[in-house]
Amino acid sequence: MNAQEQKPFEEILEHLNGAKKIVLMGCGGCATIFRTGGIKEVNDLAERLENTGKEVLARIGLPFGFLCCYLPVSSKFVEEHIEAFKACDAVLMMSCGDGAQTVREYLDEKGVVKPLFCVNNALGYSGGGPTQFHEECLGCGDCKLALTAGICPLTQCSKSLMNGPCGGVRPDGKCEVDPERDCAWVQIYKRLEKLGKVDLLLEMREPHDWSRAARPRREEVESIDMMEELARTKRAIEALGVR
Amino acid sequence: MAAKEAYSRFMEELLSGKFVWTGELEPGKDIKESLEAARELKGLVTACNVTDNPQSFASISSLAAAHVIQRETGMECIYQLRCSDRNRLALMSEVMGAGILGLKNVLALTGDYVMLGDTPAAKPVYDLDSTTLTYMIHRLVHEGKDIAGNDVPNPPKMHVGVAAGPGVDPIEPEMYKLKRKVKAGAEFVQTQVIYKTEVVDRFFKWVKELQIDVPILIGIFPAKSYGAAKFFDENVTGVDVPREFLAELEQTVKIKDKEKRREETDRINIEYFTKFLEHLKGTPAAGCHIMAVGYPRIIPELKKIVE
Repeated sequence: MNAQEQKPFEEILEHLNGAKKIVLMGCGGCATIFRTGGIKEVNDLAERLENTGKEVLARIGLPFGFLCCYLPVSSKFVEEHIEAFKACDAVLMMSCGDGAQTVREYLDEKGVVKPLFCVNNALGYSGGGPTQFHEECLGCGDCKLALTAGICPLTQCSKSLMNGPCGGVRPDGKCEVDPERDCAWVQIYKRLEKLGKVDLLLEMREPHDWSRAARPRREEVESIDMMEELARTKRAIEALGVR
Repeated sequence: MAAKEAYSRFMEELLSGKFVWTGELEPGKDIKESLEAARELKGLVTACNVTDNPQSFASISSLAAAHVIQRETGMECIYQLRCSDRNRLALMSEVMGAGILGLKNVLALTGDYVMLGDTPAAKPVYDLDSTTLTYMIHRLVHEGKDIAGNDVPNPPKMHVGVAAGPGVDPIEPEMYKLKRKVKAGAEFVQTQVIYKTEVVDRFFKWVKELQIDVPILIGIFPAKSYGAAKFFDENVTGVDVPREFLAELEQTVKIKDKEKRREETDRINIEYFTKFLEHLKGTPAAGCHIMAVGYPRIIPELKKIVE
């Protein structure tokens, strides 16, 4: 998911630049998990804005699992509040930049062109939870985990090195950038040792092919049947006892 | 892989089996001091490394500095090139440029993380790493190909070397990496500073085990003052200056007479490094890389120990 943190309130006000009538839209995905754009946070921010004299025309909270960046869902919420979007001076998106721009593009296509910005700073892919998260993947477009014991050096090494540790490893095997963190290549070595595949460290890896990460990337897929998928999700939640 | 022929005096001496000494010059933001130091080191060392944005502090380009130092002083340079600040296109063009400027030795480095220096907001590059940079240079010199595989009609004749960090724990990832770099084309190795003979022995045990067959120069750092040793201890990752050596140097701070303090500092260094270098004579070390910036007077004393 996309880790995120909310910007300081002062910065949000600064970006609003005098706009009075506001639409607030949250996200039921990562922003709910990171408490930067769930239904509760949408209401909290709305109140803070109202206390400074702003008029919040719509508080659009998306239930958990409903993603701002997934238009088949988010467009329905936009449509429900389209009059508020038309009437507002600015749209505040309580999502990551993906969600914000997906909605912005949709509104632009509808001819509703409004100042729109994101109240959160997105911090990139992370995994973990419910409270601790760590970045594991860069989305480089050319995954090499098979060669590196399932640990991505592009992400875990500060320098994204593909051919072993740098000279900055501390005497205790920690990273020069963060003395609390093990050098990624020490971790990879330890795991390769357990897997009996240390020999992989003797092969030179070609420079990474960054052409797969040329931006902005576009993908096309066959659409999913949401009802069918949600029914599966419901069954799985019940079976696994997820809370 | 070991060089078959020498394009530089440095490699010529290594191939002859002579114990080779190299020094280090940091161009910083003014070349003047490096030029003076190069003149002082002339005759004491075979070649000098010219650092590339050391510790990620923006400095005069190592290529430009090395070229000027060679031209003005006749000191042969091992020009350092790090991956932190340039992508593969820039590295490739720079190495070809080094060729036309007459540089004959290059040390391929990953480079300190940019956040650690004086320009922390810079975007770190690391498009290549020291292994792939080594391979890029090897292929250019020996196959006449650039990194994209295009022909380079008059490829430069130069030797590529790499660094090694024998003092880290666990040592295995570092040694496998060194083997990988030698397989990629490294023709010589200069190690990070070592103070302890146990570290030297453990390192050469691995060198033998992995059949790393290129000349290796051991990095040493005689400290011209307590302050220099302390700075090194605190600021250079991968190296711890032994407490007893530091403590002994600390005592010199109390000596008021400048000349006497100098003498005592030299005595401490010579005592420490006599033991160290005597030990080194019994190892396959091909030479020493002396990172004693501003301390050339100690070098003849150190050379006496080995010769």
